[in-house]
Amino acid sequence: MKDDNSSRRKFLKLGLAAGATALIGGGGKVLSAVSNPEKVSKETGEKVKLLSPDGSLVEVDKGHCHACPATGKEARQGMPNKKMVMVIDLARCRNARKCLEGCQSMHHLPQDIQWIKFFLLRDSKDTSPYWFPKPCFQCNNPPCVKVCPVGATFKRTDGIVLIDNDRCIGCKFCMAACPYSSRVFNWGKPEQAALPEGKKYSPETSWPQKVGTVGKCDFCPDMVRQGKLPSCVTSCPNGVYFYGDKNEDTVTNGTETVRFSELVQQRSAYRYMEELGTEPGVNYLPPVNRLFDYKVGFQDLKPEEIDLYKKEANISE
Amino acid sequence: MEYNSKTYRNYEDFKPQLESIGKYGYIFITTMMVIILWGVYALYKQLTIGQVETGMRDYVIWGIYDANFIFFIGISYAGALISGILHLLRVEWRHPILRMAETITVVSTMIGPSYIFLSMGRLERVWHILVYGRIQSPIVWDVFAISTYLIGSFIFLYLACVRDLAFMRDHPVGIAKWRNKVYKFLSANYQDTPKQRELLNRLIDLISIVIIPLAILVHSVLAWIFGMTLRPGWHSTIFAPYFVLAAIYSGTGVLILVMFAFRKLYHLEAHITKNHFTYLGILLMILGALYGYFTFSEYLTNWYGSVKWDMEVLHRLFDTSTYWWWFFFSAFIGVLLPIVIIALPRLRSINTIVFAALVAVTALWVKRYLIIIPTLETPLLPLHDLRPEFASYSPSWVEWSATAMGIALWLLLFFLFSKFLPIVPVVRVPTADERDYFKLRKQAKERILRRMIRKTRKEKNVVAGILILLFMTAAMAGHAQDPLRSRLKLEFLNKSGSHTLTAKLTSKKDDQTVPLEGMEISFFVQGAKDKVQLGKASTDEAGKAAFTLPDKLDVPRNKEGKYLYSATYAGSKEYQGSESSAEIMDVFMKITFSQKDSTRLINLFAVEINQKGDSVPIEGPTAIFYVPRTFSSLKIGEQPVKGGHADLDFPVTLPGDSAGNLPIVARFEDNDKYGNAEVSATMAWGKKLPPMVIVKRGLGDTNAPLWMVYTLIVLLSLVWFHFTYAIFTIFRIKHIGNKALKEGKSQTASH
Repeated sequence: MKDDNSSRRKFLKLGLAAGATALIGGGGKVLSAVSNPEKVSKETGEKVKLLSPDGSLVEVDKGHCHACPATGKEARQGMPNKKMVMVIDLARCRNARKCLEGCQSMHHLPQDIQWIKFFLLRDSKDTSPYWFPKPCFQCNNPPCVKVCPVGATFKRTDGIVLIDNDRCIGCKFCMAACPYSSRVFNWGKPEQAALPEGKKYSPETSWPQKVGTVGKCDFCPDMVRQGKLPSCVTSCPNGVYFYGDKNEDTVTNGTETVRFSELVQQRSAYRYMEELGTEPGVNYLPPVNRLFDYKVGFQDLKPEEIDLYKKEANISE
Repeated sequence: MEYNSKTYRNYEDFKPQLESIGKYGYIFITTMMVIILWGVYALYKQLTIGQVETGMRDYVIWGIYDANFIFFIGISYAGALISGILHLLRVEWRHPILRMAETITVVSTMIGPSYIFLSMGRLERVWHILVYGRIQSPIVWDVFAISTYLIGSFIFLYLACVRDLAFMRDHPVGIAKWRNKVYKFLSANYQDTPKQRELLNRLIDLISIVIIPLAILVHSVLAWIFGMTLRPGWHSTIFAPYFVLAAIYSGTGVLILVMFAFRKLYHLEAHITKNHFTYLGILLMILGALYGYFTFSEYLTNWYGSVKWDMEVLHRLFDTSTYWWWFFFSAFIGVLLPIVIIALPRLRSINTIVFAALVAVTALWVKRYLIIIPTLETPLLPLHDLRPEFASYSPSWVEWSATAMGIALWLLLFFLFSKFLPIVPVVRVPTADERDYFKLRKQAKERILRRMIRKTRKEKNVVAGILILLFMTAAMAGHAQDPLRSRLKLEFLNKSGSHTLTAKLTSKKDDQTVPLEGMEISFFVQGAKDKVQLGKASTDEAGKAAFTLPDKLDVPRNKEGKYLYSATYAGSKEYQGSESSAEIMDVFMKITFSQKDSTRLINLFAVEINQKGDSVPIEGPTAIFYVPRTFSSLKIGEQPVKGGHADLDFPVTLPGDSAGNLPIVARFEDNDKYGNAEVSATMAWGKKLPPMVIVKRGLGDTNAPLWMVYTLIVLLSLVWFHFTYAIFTIFRIKHIGNKALKEGKSQTASH
């Protein structure tokens, strides 16, 4: 037993050393990208916040911003010492769908590609239906990542599951494996703005989408690197989405900033279908003391969509 | 090399088929080629436009391509398992059907996997599997398994052909020259010397033994692609054996169909007798019963357990408006009908057995469809999509064309192979009863005659294709607007002694506040008489313009000790101008930390600067304490400042960095006197962040768990060792033949 422990400790030490060198190496790349004069397009005088290799925020000129989203190997590693989480307050959601609009405009997605989906769930016939917005859950034991034959989708140390659509072969196995239907496929060529000249594709921006590959909600790591919140969080009129770093024990919906642990403990947060063993990174606050009646969510919908929702939620009126 | 009279007699039966293709042969080849070319066109559409050309969409991500894939790999079992087992058991009647069975395996294993390529969105990236392949993925298992299986079935077929190839080499009558060369090359100098015979027999036994577990593994891996997912109807432990059984069942069925087709086509009544149909029919019946047992067990378990999603899939299968009739055909008719037909001797004839096999094979294709589609139409969250093509699957013309193409290619390859080598081994074909043989052979010849008389009719072939393309364009136009009212808000921030003015410019559009970007804001401070311009800044995407004040202002403070700052926006064509101002008094703040027993405190000290420039302790306003975080600041408490001091408990439960460093900010917010003023300091009293634990070689990592790597290496090397040995032995046989030939020549020379 003793030997076991010591060898494990050795292994951990080795792992840490390797991890540390990897981080330093990766960090060096960020800095070199920032300081490399060839890559600087122009100094704008405006400052943007960037996440430095040691995990703190630094300000750099906006002209360097194309270095913000990581590319290549670095994009597969994740932001050091971060663990991104989301808390969705079901009591505040009225199916306004502003999060989807924000998501689509931020990712330059056409209308028919929807990475956030909306369900009207009803747990039993005795309970009232509630609106359930669903981004990708960024599972900590992601079934999609397990089955990928080429490692085109991967789990990062910061908890984010990304897709490298330069590597994806389009086998769609990840879509079969995801129990939450979070992934969408680009069946045809997406009608989308092209990447500006000089910008390199990064899995962190998920832009552009490519025909024959898989896409999904990416938790916006490129925004996190700039110290900005994802668009779904900021565009929600009711503050439904709380986003933050679990390592800072802090989440925010843009206006309120609260401790993650207090929020999930006091409001009895749960993770959807956790019994599947996927360990989702998105927590839901149960729809108690709701701000809106579920019917409010019908107001902007087409009649046939309302019928579909009613059918799914077993509402017979 | 010498052959007995039986061999010559057999060969005579096949000679006509080998020497000419015939009119109907050409018609057949042309038809198949047309179907294949049409399929190529369909695939061209799919590959250039995308899979939007198929019926597959976000929920039903796999369609008939994958059903075809399982189907073709399934029927490949005919050769691998059936001929392997029949050979090892030394079943007397096996010889005439062995080659057909083995050819089914090779041809199906060649065509089957191409459907998995068609269901890929990015075919041109298939090499990524070799470069980035992850051993944890069942698809990679499949790549290893099927490629090995294909090579194995080629070797198996080849070994069983060596004797016939040698015969063809020795009897080159009426056959094109290039073919004779091919025969000679492939026959590996086989001279039937005792040593060669022994080696070849041993090799066939060996590969028969290897091919059986390999075939079982191939279909298990295929089942695991589905079984490894968390989907109702797929996530089942019996899926691998269930797939294996379904595969042998359909393989036997296809073998019976192929036997029937060639028996009719080439008049092989003397070689393939009713007994063959009866024996294989009985095998089909047993397999059907086993397959039915697995089916019953699978659905009974699901129904009894009645998990929500399992029940949804079952409802889909039993609902007459969805899949009931398909399910009824595949699970009831496809199992019971073959059993009944073959079990009752009165119903058992060649035609009925072939009918039973046809039903079984079709039912098994439908079964594969029912495995894939209803499950994909039952996601765990409701399938919520208004687009009808997303909500339910129906194959498009592209998919049907590709399916027809596969079948046509399968038939064509089989047909061409039967023109290259006798479809029944001619060397050492045993016939149980000589008298029966002659009688049957005479009948067969009479049938050929009768058929030739009938063959005077003409046939027509009509092939037509229609292609329609529609283009749609849309244009968007904007319209001009009157100037809108703009709103400016000035804020003052004293951040650790550095003073900044921030102005936020917004406007109301459709009842929504929108920030105005790229507008110029001018900043002023009130001097003794006039406003003094401090500087200009333009607004960012959030509508904010910031201006940092110089360390010292050249204007006097007013009576209350304040400065009057203002900001203006001149306005533009679209927006009216606006202005905002703020009266601010300078403050000085400082944070220190102190510890008394176990309580750790944050101590804020704050003074204001009066008209004369003296420091006066602040009294009254509330100081708010924050911890800055990635996106925003986390409030940890607030305290009124009394006599210039405010104390707060340090948030010891909050995580800091790896050393526990936690920055603390104290602020006065939107204060009438001080505007926004803040100061920060860092102390290592926070919770220490544990170092990242990086798990390696997990199921989700780049590198696979070691046991998986070892298992794969052991399995692959076991199989490939035997394959290499087989190839080596073939060369040895060739070498022995060479030597025997030389000896024979020198003997004849000495005579």
